[in-house]
Formats: sequence, C-alpha cells, structure tokens
Amino acid sequence: MVFNSLTFVVFFACVLALHSLPFSWTTKKINLAVASYLFYAAWNPPFVILLWVSTVVDWYAAQGLVKARRPAARHAWMLLSVSANLGMLGFFKYGQFLLDNFGSLMAALGVAYHPAHYDIVLPVGISFYTFATMSYTLDVYLRRAAPAQNLLDYALFVTFFPHLVAGPIMRPTELVPQFAEPRRANAQQLRFGLALMTLGLFNKIVLADSFLAGAAERIYDSDKLPGTLDAWAGTLAFSGQIFCDFAGYSTTAIGAALCLGFAMPDNFRFPYAAVGFSDFWRRWHITLSSWLRDYLYIPLGGNRHGARRTYAALMTTMLLGGLWHGANWTFVAWGGLHGVYLAIERALRARFPNYRPGPLMFVALGLLTYTLVNVTWVFFRAKTFGKAWLVLRGMFGQNAGARPILSTFNLVTVAVIIGGMLITHWLMRGRTLESMVARAPAVAVCLVWALMAFAIIAAQGAGNAFIYFQF
Amino acid sequence: MPSSTSSSDSALALTRGHARKSTWDRYARQTAADRPGIAQPVPVRPVPAQPWGKILAGAALLLLLMLAGWEEYWRAYGVRPGINNTYGLWAIQRRRIDAGEGDATVLLGSSRLFFDVQLPVWEKLDGRRPIQLSFEGTSPLKATEDLAADAKFTGRLLIGIAPDLFFSGFEFRAGAIRYTRNESPSERIGQWLSMHLIEPYLAFDDTDYALQTVLARQSWPARPGLPEHIRVRKLSMNEADRNTHLWSKVETDPEYRALARRIWLQNFDPSPDDPSPEAALKTEKEQIERMAKAVVQLHARGVKVLFVRLPSNGPFLAFENRSYPRARSWNGLLAATGAPGLYFEDYPELEGYKLPEWSHVAPSQADRFTAVLYGIIRRDFWRLDAAAPGGEASPTH
Repeated sequence: MVFNSLTFVVFFACVLALHSLPFSWTTKKINLAVASYLFYAAWNPPFVILLWVSTVVDWYAAQGLVKARRPAARHAWMLLSVSANLGMLGFFKYGQFLLDNFGSLMAALGVAYHPAHYDIVLPVGISFYTFATMSYTLDVYLRRAAPAQNLLDYALFVTFFPHLVAGPIMRPTELVPQFAEPRRANAQQLRFGLALMTLGLFNKIVLADSFLAGAAERIYDSDKLPGTLDAWAGTLAFSGQIFCDFAGYSTTAIGAALCLGFAMPDNFRFPYAAVGFSDFWRRWHITLSSWLRDYLYIPLGGNRHGARRTYAALMTTMLLGGLWHGANWTFVAWGGLHGVYLAIERALRARFPNYRPGPLMFVALGLLTYTLVNVTWVFFRAKTFGKAWLVLRGMFGQNAGARPILSTFNLVTVAVIIGGMLITHWLMRGRTLESMVARAPAVAVCLVWALMAFAIIAAQGAGNAFIYFQF
Repeated sequence: MPSSTSSSDSALALTRGHARKSTWDRYARQTAADRPGIAQPVPVRPVPAQPWGKILAGAALLLLLMLAGWEEYWRAYGVRPGINNTYGLWAIQRRRIDAGEGDATVLLGSSRLFFDVQLPVWEKLDGRRPIQLSFEGTSPLKATEDLAADAKFTGRLLIGIAPDLFFSGFEFRAGAIRYTRNESPSERIGQWLSMHLIEPYLAFDDTDYALQTVLARQSWPARPGLPEHIRVRKLSMNEADRNTHLWSKVETDPEYRALARRIWLQNFDPSPDDPSPEAALKTEKEQIERMAKAVVQLHARGVKVLFVRLPSNGPFLAFENRSYPRARSWNGLLAATGAPGLYFEDYPELEGYKLPEWSHVAPSQADRFTAVLYGIIRRDFWRLDAAAPGGEASPTH
C-alpha cells in the first residue's frame, strides 16, 4: 500500500495500537513483521514469496559465511547471495529489456530474431529490498558486521514496512541492533514523527502530485513541440516533482519509523543547494549513492589505483546506478551524464587544487550545478531519446514554430514552488530540519503543521504511486 | 554505538550535554555520505525541543476549523456530499458480472446514458437493477470489447452512442478496464473506506473542488498564443451503485448553466488541433469496424445488443449533425454491426425534455424519461418473445 492512501491510515493506526499494547518484545517484533508482509501483500500478495526467498537465501548465506573456514568457501557463499539477489532483480526488472536488446543486436547483425513479450510484472520496490539484503551478506563477507542473532530480527530488517519499498536503503548495522531491545516511541517522538509524516505527505500529495506533475506531463507526455519557456518550465517542474515525491516518501518513512520508536537515516540533505556533483551526490538519495560507493565503486578500486582506474570505476558506478533506476537506455544516459559531470569536476579539482570560490561565485556554481542536473532530468523523465532531444532542443531555443503549451497558472506555480524550494535548500544547506524546527516559534510550527495537513486533505490526492516505486 | 531514539528523550539529553552549542550545531549530524567504506552505525534521530503536545493540539484544532470552513464554503455554493465516480467504483460494478450477474442488463455509454437513465426507475419496471458501466466523456468501445471477451457476460447490452465521442474514439476516462484488472487489495480497501467513511459526509471531497483545481480556474492572465480553454465543471451526482443524474445546480442556477453551455461551445468551433477530415473519417471507420467485431462476439453468446442515441439539442445537436451526420455515422454503425438502434428523433415521446446544457436530461425529468425510454425498448426491441439474430426483435423504426 502507499503511504498516501486511506488504507495506510487505517493500517498505521492498527500497527501503532498493537505496538503500544503490553506484549513481549518478541511478540511485538512478530506483529511488526506480519504487518510489514501485509503492507507488501496489499499490492500483490504472491510477491511476498520473493521477499521470503530473498530473506532466507541471505540468512543462510551469512550463516555459511561465518562458519566457512576457507576463503574460497566464504567467496562462494557471498557469490550465492549476490547471484540469487541479482538473478531475481535481473529476471523481473531487466529480463524483457535484455531480450529486446538481444533482438535488436541480432537484427543489426542481419539475424531475424523476435523475442517473445512476457509482460513480466515488476514487484514493487524489488530494487530497494534487494540492495538492503545484499548489504547484509556483503557486510558480513567484508567483516564489517556480525550476522543477525536470530532470523526474526533479520526478517524484520528486510521487511520493516517504512523502508521496504522505496528506502531509505537501510544497512543491517543501522537497523538490526535496534531490534535487540524493546523500543516504543515516547510522546515527543510520536508527535514529531507525525509532524514528519505530514511534511512528507505534503511534499508528495500537494507539491509533487497536485501542482508540479501536471506541468511535467504536459511537456513530456504530449506530442507538442515545446518552446524554450515551456521546455524549461516542464523540466524544472519535474526536478521539483521528483524531489518532493522521493524526499516526501523518505520523510514519511522516517516519521512512521519514529512513531514506532525506530530511527532511520537521512536520505536527502537539501540537494538543490549542491555546489558541484560530488556535493550533489552527498545530498541526493544518500543511502543509494553511499551503497553504490561502498559496494561497487570502492571494490572496483575507487581512487586507489591511479586516475584512469578511478575514472573507469566512477563511470561504471554511475552507469550501473542509472540502470538501477530502470530498464531503459535513457536511465543509463542519465547515469552516464552524471558520471561525466563527476569526472570533469574531479579533473578540475586536480587541475586547480587551491581554488576557493568567493560568495558570488559559490552561488553561481550552485546554480550551474542545478542547471546541469536539470539537463540530466530530461533523460530521466523522457521515455525515449527522441522525446529527450525534443525537450533539450526546446530548452536551448532550437524548436522554431513551437506554440505555448503551459498555462499562466502552470508557469506561476512552477516558478513559485521551484523558487521557494531553491531558496529553502540554500538557506538550509548546512543545517538540519530539526535545528530549524527547534529555532522556530512554537506558534509558527503549529500553524505550518495545520496548513500542511489542510492542504493534504483539500488537494484530495488520488493515491498516486511514488515515482521511485517503479525502481 | 550512538544512542538512537530508544533513549528516553534524546533531544533533552542533547540539550543538557551541549548547552553551549548553538541550536544549529546541536542538531547537526553525519550521514552515510560522510562515512565511506565502513559499517553504518544506528542512526540518531533527535526530536527538536518544542512543546509538541501543545503544538499537536493547536494544529489539530486549527485543522478542524479550516476543514469546517472549507466544507461550509462549498455547501453554501450548493454542493452536497456524493459518491465519487472513481475507477474503483466502476470496478465494483464490473465485478458484478464475474460474481454471478452475467445475465444482467448492462448500460454502457457516455455521459448521456450515465446521467439520463435512472436505475431505480428501470429496476421498478424491469424487476432487476441494471449494471451501470458508462463513463462521462468516454467512448464505450473498449468497455464493449472487454465485455465481448468475457464469456461470463450473457445478458443484455444497451450501448449509448454520443457521436462526437464514439466516432472520434475520445476517452476522457480511459483507464477503468486496466485499473479493474490490476486493482490491488489496498486499492479495494481504500475505495471501500472512502465511499463509506468519507464521501457520504464531505461535500468538498470532489475532484472539482480539489485545491489545485480551484486555484487553476481563478482568473489568471491569459498567456499570449495559448487559447483559453475552460475545463468541464462538475455536472453530475453519483450514488454508490453509479446511479447518476445531472447535478441540479445545472438546472436551477442560470449562471452555472450558462457556464456549462459556454464550456461545450468551446468544442464546436474548428481548432488547429483537430484531425484532418480524412483522418477523422478513417478513425470513424475504425471505431465502427471494431464495434462490429465486438458485436459479433456478443451475438455469438446470445447477448442482446441495442444501440441508443439519446437526446441533445441546440448548438450541441447542430455540432453533432454537422460533424457526424446520421446518414453516414449512425446508419453506418447499424449496418456494420447488424444490431438494432434507437434514435431519439424517431420517437416523439423522447423529445421535448428539458436539456439544461443541450446534452443531458434535467434531473427533475430524468425519472419520467427513463420510464418512457424503458417502455420503448421493451415494446420495440427487447420483447420477451424476441428471437431475432442476437436475441433482439426487429426494430419497428
């Protein structure tokens, strides 16, 4: 089920009530695990089996890793876990994509091969929980973490509903220890957790779905030729939509966990105030970028084996990171562009090691970063390269004869929301939400909370799925 | 390992331990981005020092006041609570066919069959309540194909033809069939909760009064080069089984009626986005051919199919006659499908009803209209002893 649904409201109320009853800690954990399976089954019940497969395979792989004496045996257990997880991900997410590309390759070689269309349904959140479970065996393999003490704690780590389908991608060392001792939110945590959930849902339902999605759809999902203003407005709208959608999900998830007494890590840190692309990736989808860094970039050699190897590792990581988002070459192009940006930034830092921008140049570099990030969003949002080129041509004034597409209302809302978002990110770039809330007058916090809740209800969200569910 | 939220109150602990630090510093924390290549520790999630109990109580009170004001505002405008016409609501009716009502009468059309035919009246005359599967602004073709492919459906099918929608293949609500096939348990539960606990009590819970919709229709300056286009406003009131009628405000409020008419008029003049006459004709032929295939399937199972063209008048009728002349479009459909058709102009008893915005029967007359329509259908098309191909009696007109 999605957070922005009536079903979730009822579900969450039941979970909170159950968690506050005087059961033993083990019973409460079983309740949470069952609730999490129900949360997942509410989309498509049979896919719960995938969760079980992933859980059991990694549980036994980690046990095998610990018991193995020989390095080859450890290696084999690790490979079993990685193969099982990536195999499932590959089948469900990339099976048709690989077949179609194989067909295209054969056609290019003059071989008439028409792969069947299997119409495979993508299990919601498979990319997220696959990465979470893989980090478990990989951490044990890399001797960074001890295996979980019991299967219940481990199963709950995999399925814990706040992070299950769209992150933040939790590491076992972040969550499993929290299951060791009884946890229940105190009154302050419960209230602040509810406030966080309201903020997250406001971002998703009001800003992303109600005010930004429409402008992006009119540019990216229509056949009309966009002019400069429309192409930029549509792309800026999408930049705000995807942030509000995904950061909104993360904030809601963090709030839901806090209401139950658990802590989840930050996933975003005001990314549109980033200055440079390494800074951007330290602020955007932090739990994915750090996962890719720890389990892909560093094992590929990181920056320890000379410049060429570093750039190769960087590009490989970003290309695969792009592919993680979806089985489409446009996502690979998106990741590749970010890889190129990172490589250029790295080269510039090496060439000008002592350069420190002044205040104006700092802001200018930040705006340049945001502008270039928007260029990458074009590939992320467009379903085909043809559409992406059309929008890019529009953004750079090359679509002669384009007629206006977006209404004044669309343009004003995009300008107000994106402008407000950029100002907020810049004001908050070195701070945390908690520090800002702590400094605000209580009356202001109360008023903002009520207004956000009112806007959520008045916007009447249609239970739209979060964009990142498809990944 | 850093303490997490399990401590009694991490915010207070932090406050005591770091009294000299500024508020900004006190809540600063690292993320996984700051800790490369190591096992990530249990996160720390402090609660900002605020009187959260008072804040929550104040926010809840303010929220209630705002919601009460919003509800009162829309009720003063004339809105009353009703059931939202969602895909989930359509899915409930569609599933009746799979759940033992495959021999029922199904109404499948666009807004005219949806708003004009009143299910309680039909039920009173027929003994059984029909299943309403029409959708406003939407060609019934895909839903007909869906029923044609469903072996469980063996009943009677009344297909409403609104010429500008059916022959152009226009679909304002195109996703109902796909939604029904893919509807998740969560969505089913959400639909039930909403139609039982929210929609019967809140007037503002209607897509026409969603915050962004209300803001979008304020008098924003027109953008040069972009033709102004007013979106269709609320026109109907729905019940839980999709029994629907034209909203009484369209009939009783002259200003609102004028707005509804102005919205229709936007569609009657040629637009640069219109397809060429050749493309439009090609689409029309394709729609008829697809419908003919579906009807063959339905007839093979003994389903009785009847096309019905319900009344329109004024500029709307003139536009329809100009764009889709009966001799070509309607007659072409009947000829290709071999199914009978009921055209309102052939029946004097179907004329003279009040159509406030030229397209739908006024709610005050919808019951009487339904009774007359049912009588004609029963008399001329669906006689009990019907034995013509597909089960219909031959039409008398």
